[in-house]
Formats: sequence, structure tokens, C-alpha cells
Amino acid sequence: MRVCGKCRVVFLVVLVAFLALLAAPATAEDFNWKKYAGATVKVLFVQHSVSEAIVSKFAEFEAATGIKVDYSITPEANYFDKVATSLSSRTGDPDLFMSGAYQLWDYSSAGFVEDLSAFINDKNKVVPDYDFGDIVKSAADALKWDGVPGHAVGTGPQLGLPLAFEIYSIAYNKRAFEKAGIKVPQTFDELLAACDKLKEWNGQGSYALAIRGARDWGTIHPGYMSTFANFGAVDFAVEGNRLVSKVNSPEAVKMTEFWVDVIKRGGSPSWSRYTWYEAGADLGAGKAAMLFDADNNGVQQNWEGASQEAGNIAWALMPVAKVGDTPHSNYWTWSMAMNSASKNKDAAWYFLMYFTSKGFAEYASVEKNSVDPARTSVWNSEGFGKKMAKQEGYIDTYNKTINSTTILFTPQPYFFETTTEWAATLQDIVAGKYKSVQEGMDSLKVKMDKALEDVEIK
Amino acid sequence: MDNEQKTNVSSQSKNTALDLLGTFGRNLGLTLYALFALFPLVWMIICSLKLDSEMYNTVFVFSPTLDNYKAVLLGTDYFKAFFQNLIVAGGAVILTIVAGVPAAYALARYDFKKKEDLAFQILSFKFAPEILVILPIFTIFQRIGLYDTYFGLIWVYQLITMPLVIWVVRGYFEEISVEIEQAAQLDGYRWFDIFFDILVPLIKPGLVASALLAFIFAWNSFTFPLVLSGFKIQTMTITSLRYIASDTVHYGQVAVASLVAVSPEIIACLFIQKHLVRGLSFGAVKG
Amino acid sequence: MNETDNAPRDDRINYNEAPVSVRRRPYFIIAPGLLILIGILIPFAIAIFLSFTNFSFRSTSWRFVGLRNWSDAFADRAFYHAVWVTLRYGFYATLTQMVLGLVVALLLRKDTFYSRVLKVLFTFPLMVAPAIAVLIWQLMTSNSVGVLEGFLNFFGVFDFPWASSHATAMFTAVLIDTWVNTPFILLLVLAGIQSLPKSPFEAAQVDGASSWFIFKTLTFPMLKPFLYIALLFRVMAALQEFGIIFALSKGGPGDTLMNISLTGYITAFQFLRMGKALPYLLVLWMICYVAAWALVKRQRKLAKLAQGY
Repeated sequence: MRVCGKCRVVFLVVLVAFLALLAAPATAEDFNWKKYAGATVKVLFVQHSVSEAIVSKFAEFEAATGIKVDYSITPEANYFDKVATSLSSRTGDPDLFMSGAYQLWDYSSAGFVEDLSAFINDKNKVVPDYDFGDIVKSAADALKWDGVPGHAVGTGPQLGLPLAFEIYSIAYNKRAFEKAGIKVPQTFDELLAACDKLKEWNGQGSYALAIRGARDWGTIHPGYMSTFANFGAVDFAVEGNRLVSKVNSPEAVKMTEFWVDVIKRGGSPSWSRYTWYEAGADLGAGKAAMLFDADNNGVQQNWEGASQEAGNIAWALMPVAKVGDTPHSNYWTWSMAMNSASKNKDAAWYFLMYFTSKGFAEYASVEKNSVDPARTSVWNSEGFGKKMAKQEGYIDTYNKTINSTTILFTPQPYFFETTTEWAATLQDIVAGKYKSVQEGMDSLKVKMDKALEDVEIK
Repeated sequence: MDNEQKTNVSSQSKNTALDLLGTFGRNLGLTLYALFALFPLVWMIICSLKLDSEMYNTVFVFSPTLDNYKAVLLGTDYFKAFFQNLIVAGGAVILTIVAGVPAAYALARYDFKKKEDLAFQILSFKFAPEILVILPIFTIFQRIGLYDTYFGLIWVYQLITMPLVIWVVRGYFEEISVEIEQAAQLDGYRWFDIFFDILVPLIKPGLVASALLAFIFAWNSFTFPLVLSGFKIQTMTITSLRYIASDTVHYGQVAVASLVAVSPEIIACLFIQKHLVRGLSFGAVKG
Repeated sequence: MNETDNAPRDDRINYNEAPVSVRRRPYFIIAPGLLILIGILIPFAIAIFLSFTNFSFRSTSWRFVGLRNWSDAFADRAFYHAVWVTLRYGFYATLTQMVLGLVVALLLRKDTFYSRVLKVLFTFPLMVAPAIAVLIWQLMTSNSVGVLEGFLNFFGVFDFPWASSHATAMFTAVLIDTWVNTPFILLLVLAGIQSLPKSPFEAAQVDGASSWFIFKTLTFPMLKPFLYIALLFRVMAALQEFGIIFALSKGGPGDTLMNISLTGYITAFQFLRMGKALPYLLVLWMICYVAAWALVKRQRKLAKLAQGY
């Protein structure tokens, strides 16, 4: 796919220019934003910096379009439970909701998600300066799926549009590495060595590497899944008309052994309750020397005055087998999707278009704190570069990782169930509840296969 | 206190020593429990005065700031949630009193068929797993338009509030002798006069105490408002958790939000402090 | 309103001999309260019905699957594990809180200024929403940045694992539960103590009975009706505990804290398998129902006995 990247861009530019000439609203000024004035759209938000940015622009949106917004913000721990119940009611509430790609596999399998291609491809409905091609392509592709379990993302209905995303990398404390006199680890072996060297680098209770370990999907998708892929392991394989778990393959077991080693030698003693927050906070508090998580997690600790270690944090590529290997990063996208039962689809589309526009993305990233913008133009903008000037290596690491970033999970509609079991098994393995990693992964495979027993690939 | 009491004079001084020891032990025990019960609250107050950057690295020595208070109270729609929660929890308790006190009266005064069974059924609602009822209720509410409405929540909260009030108040009615009512009737009081002028003052301690407990449980409810509301109505607990932002947990702001959230309960508790303990004695207070 | 005139002068009115209009009256009075609760009963019926279907949030259509959800649950080891965790958690939490509540109430018995102030202060933790309470405790128990780590270090304990180890997760959850809910028991026991008659205690003291003897033969038996009520409400809540455990560890590490409520919630709302979750939740309901029935029966008996004083 990537080989053709350049011609695709050229093609898109030509197409956009062509469309712009032909399209009914010839310029952005002619576009009738007031067409659905008086409508009300209901939107479900998760608590996130991009939501804060959107909410702060509601007054402007309402003035520009005459569309009223009802919204609800839910903490992330309970957010998806609320989305699932709301969508299943089929009443059309909410019209729009935030989601990750993985969750959209669940929801779209049930037919709850509107295919946005119909809007994107209708030149009458898209404001001429929208510039779909400017949306980070891998992020937009990550939100496409044809609904067949086992088929990779990137084709099929557009299930959502990205607002922000995450790639995975190492955020590290420069002070810690100066003190220990070592380099930032680039390979798996160096990572293990660093784990030992950085033990108690900052006094009692400090340790080498913060990673997530709580009993939910959040533990699997960042560093673990990326490293899983870098070991050459896969979660599922298609066998006949079934998806079969491969988490007990030799590569997967070897990788998990490595991971357990990392946790035991360099992780927090309370690893198993670490979520995004604890992991990030420990880096900021000078307890962890490194953080292997979403790239923007460390940034929130590094703003001036945000934490004790603010200003000391820098970014580097995730470790790989040997120097020079391509780092495969998993992908997480916070996107906005449309309820297929919505009764205000056109007004909802206006909302979606407004808040995925270039202008808004720039505002959210430069003036607010959404630091993985879904628009290429923002990544390349001067304003964003200036804002991230003190985040050493951040943009550079992004540029070196984004082209090998993709969703590493096999799309299937029981994502929550399989990854929650995965996290629980990992906790048990680390706690020594299994005789060996192999035994743990064998039992996990059985559970995952059971979860997918009624999935058939037609 | 002890058997030696009656033996001789010298034990008098020993007794005082024992008393002292007893007092010391009692106060030590109370102080230990007070530490356990109150330290987290004190810690919350301390956190509410700390900046995010000092949250993890300081214990008692830090530079206090009111920034968290400003951020929560001025910067967000926190007060909207506060008042909405007040309407929902207060409304639930009022509905419980209006419908529950007569029910408690009937359960205490009349002997009718299946009375004990009925009383138990009412109590058993309190024991139904919230998670079990929430899904069907959600579906029904969506259909009949009660989703995200005050009345919908007030109604569902009856599961939390009503059984407790009925059970406590019933105990009170059982303690009031029938003769009082009969005498009043002979004096020409009408039934609602009897109810409001004679019975209500007598059950007041129980009513007030159980209503406060019911209010606390309703005020802090999490699962029901999470699933059954959200767009128009927001409640405190969910709103407080919002300060677990995407960037980091703003513990200081969570602390402020929770401190403000407990304030109406604490004020109510101080107001009815006299009734609170008495009131839960199910009317069995003698002398 | 003269029906009471022809009633026997007894504590109870014999409504079987009263006119029909009067006989029906209790049902009328109780009706509004009952109606409200019965409205909420409908969901129970629906829940039982749905447990025989493959209903889920995944799809708008569903079909009957007979007893499959039930037989699946009973065949699953996770089910028995969940029941076991539920019972253990219920036992530990209730026992700790009952003992602590009773002891503290007895310590508060002597009316001093200190105890009057403490009585009020001690009710405060009850007012903190459990989800928030967990957050406070999580911050305090963090190994890297928590205040309790420093406190324990002072005693030579390092890296106490709290909620992150299989061995101490239950302890931590019970500890937080105890912090929030002991005041509830405390209030009820204090109420009970206030209702105790004075004379038997004065007599016992004159006879020079020991404190332990007084407690064993007088205080404790007389407090029993109150302890039962406290026990009843706490046992029910502890068996169903969801908020504290979910906020603390989501049931982990491993499956350590996966009680029925958590398993049911996660299966239904996160794995989107409502039909599969309902047998779990209905079994929980039955456990609660039976436990409540036994406790209530005993409590009513004791209360009636106590009223004899």
C-alpha cells in the first residue's frame, strides 16, 4: 500500500482540485453552514483533551451553523459501557459518539455505526476547504473496516473520522540517564540491561520503566502489543472459516517471557494496577526513568509546571530486536462516529466536519493540549512546532514511527473480551500463578477461542 | 467495675488506677480509629490545596494554593451538576416520604394478610443488584421517555431510598400505642389531624435520620445516573470523576469536587445531629 | 372514622371483623409506596425472561436459547470462583465492619466532650461517594508517590503491594469498604445503645459484675436487634459490592476480586453478552434474597422479644 503513497497523494490533489472546480459550492464562503439551523445534535464525549477543546468551541459552532449541541462527558473507565447501552437502544441518541477503532468493530458488527463515506464523497455535503487528504492517512484508514472478522482495517466503510490518535514510543527522563551514565535503550537486550541499571536511580521507590498493567484492554494495546508485533507474533490467524488465537505461538511466548522479565526487573511493584494515569504520573514524579506508552502521555507531564520532572522528559523510538529494525507501533485513534439510528444525520455530519476541520485541529493542538493531531498540516505547521519545541524528540519520533504504525490487532467483534482476558492472564503470569509463561498463554488461547466460538468468516 | 470493688478500702486506689487505665485505653482506641476514619479526609483537604506538580512529591510541606478551587468552582459547570443532583436526590427522598410513610404506617398498624411477606418484599428491593435492574430499566425508560429526566431518576432512586425509610419508620409506628390515636379520635380529631399533629412528631427522629441516610445513598449513587442520564442531567459523583482528565488525574480538583459534594450531607448531618443516632433506634428508645 | 371504636382494645386492630371498607384500607394506604416499587419490579421479570435469550447490546434481535445461558454458567469454573469471591468478600467486609462498629460504639458510650465531637466526625466517611473514596485511597496507597508508603517505611515495611497483589487485593478492598461503611454500623449500634434501659446495668454494677460479664449478658443481647439490622443492610451491600472493587482493580489482579457483580457487569456491559451475564446476576439476587430472608426473620423475632422489656 505504501509504495503507491506518492501517486495517491498526487491523485488526491488533482481530484480535490477537480472537484473544487466542479462542485456546487465553489468556494468555502459559498458553503451553506446554516442549512440545518435549528437542529439539535447529541454527542457523547469521553473525558479527553480533545473533548475539552471541542466543548470550548460550542458557542462558535452554534453561531456558525445554528445547530444546538447537547453533550455528555463521561470518565474513560465507564465511557464505553455508556456508549454500548445508548447505541443498543436504537432511539437515535446520541447522534455522535467518540470511539476508538477497536470499539467500532464491536459496534459496527451490530450495525450501529453509520458509514461516513456517503457524506465524504458527496461534494454537496463537504465544505470545499475540508481537504480530506490532509487527514493523517493511516488514522483515517484505521477507521475503515469491511466487517469481516480477520480482514485488516483500511478497506470498507469509513466508521469514524479521527480527532486525535496515539502512537507508542519511549518517553524518558534525561536526568535519569545522565545519572546512570547509560544510553536510551534501542534494543530488547538494552532495555533489560537498563532495567537493572536504573533500579532506585532516584532513591527508594524509583524504578526503570512505567508500563500499564491493569485488568483491561488498556494494558495490551500500547507497549505490549507493539512489542508483540516486533517479536513477530500475531494475535489471531484465519484457519478455514474461523479465527484462531495464536497467543501461545513460540514468538508470542518468547515475547511474553521478555515482557514479564521487564516488569519484574524494571517495573513498578504495583504494576498490576497501573493505567495510563499511574504510569504517566510516575514519570512526571521522578519515580520512573522511562515510560513505554502513548507518546502524548509523557507530554502531559512535561509542560512547564505540570510535574516535578517537567522539562526533563524526551522521546525516543521503542526498542526493537536489533538496531535499525523498523519499529512497528500499534495505533489508537480517538475518533468521532455517527449512530446509524440518528435522526439528524445531516446536522451531525456538519458537527463532524466542523470539528475534524484543519482550522479546528490546529486550534485544538496549538492552543489546547491535543498533541497528536489527526491532520498532517498541523504536524507540519509552525505553530505546532513552536508549541512542541521543548518536547525533545517528540515530533522526530513521530515522524520515524508513523509510517510503520498500524492497528496490530486482528479486527473481530469481541475485542474487549479477548483483551481483558489477556490482561488478566498477564497479571496471573507475572504473579507466578502459572508454572510457566507457556502454560499461561495456553490457557489464554483456550479462553480467546471460546470467546470467538460463534464468529464465522463468510 | 471489678470484683475487687467490695473487698477492702485499699482497692479504692487500685480502682482509680483501673479507671484511669480504662479511660486511657478508651481514648487510645478512639484516637486510633479517628486516625483511620479522619486521615483520608484530612488528606483530601490537603490535596485540594496542592498544585498538580506538588501532588506526588510533597507530604505536609507545600505551598498552598486555591487554584484547584478556582478551576472547579469557576471553570466548569460543576454547580449545574450540584443543583441537578440536589433535585434528584432531594426529590427522591421527598417522594419516598410521601409514599413510604403511609406504607410504613399500614405495615405497623394493620394486621392484614401476607403482611410480613409484603414488608419483606419491600425490603428486598434494596437487595436487588443494581446491575441486574439497570438494563431493563434503561430499555423501558428509553421507550416511555423517562431517560435522562428528573422523574426517571427520582423514580429509580426509590430502590435505594424507600426500603430504608419504610423499615425505620415502621419501627416507630409500632412503638406508638394505639391508645393515643383512639383517644385523639374520641376527642374529635380527624384522621389527618391525628396523623400530622400526633403521629408525625413522634416518628420525627426516625424519619429524619433514615431520610438523611437515604439522601446520602441517593446523593452518592453512581451506576443509575451513569446509565440513565447524561445529556440534560448530570450528577455529582460522575462529575467529580471528570477531573480524572485525559492528561493526568487532577487529584487536587477531584478533592475539591468531592469536598463540595459532601458539604450538603455534612450540613444536614450537623442540623439533625440530635436526631441522627436517636432516630435509628427504630423507636425503641426507652426512658 | 369510628371503626376503631368497635375494635378490641388491643395493640392490633382485628380487621377480619371490621367492615370491608376498613379491611381494605391498609392496602389503600400502602398502595402508592407499593406501586412505585412494583413499577421497578417489572425489570426483574424482564431480566428473568431475558436470561433465556441471547439478548445483547450487539444486536437488536434476539432469540430464545432455552437454558443455555444457565447451563453455560453452571459449567463455567469462573462462575463458582465468582460465587466464592462474593461470599468471602461479603464475610470479611461485614465481619470487620461489625466488630469495628460495635467496639467503637462501645468506646463512645461514655458521654464526654471528646466522644460527642467524635460521634459527629465519625459519620463523615459515609458521605464520601465510594468511587471517590477509592480514588483517595489509591493516591494514599501508591507505592511510588503515596503517603502511606512513607508511613509504612517508618515501620520497616517497604513496597506493601496493596491492591496490586493477589495476596493483599482483597484486604485493600475490604479496608476501603470498612472506611466508608463502618459509620453506618456505628450509627445503628449507637442508636441501640441509647435505647438500652438503665436499670439492669445499674443493678449489675451494684452487684460488682465485671465489664466483660455485663457486656456478655446484658449489652450484647440487648443490642442484638440493632446488630441484626446493621448486619442485614451491610451483608446485602457487601455481597453486591461493585463500585469499590471496580474502581480499585477492575477485579484484578488476575481474577482475585471477580465477584458476581463484577463478572456480571463486565460480561454484560463490556463484553456485551447480556444473556450470559443474567444468570450470574440472578444467582446473586437469589443469594441476597435467601440471606435477607433468614436475617429478617430472626431480626423481627428478636425485635419483638426486645419490645418486651
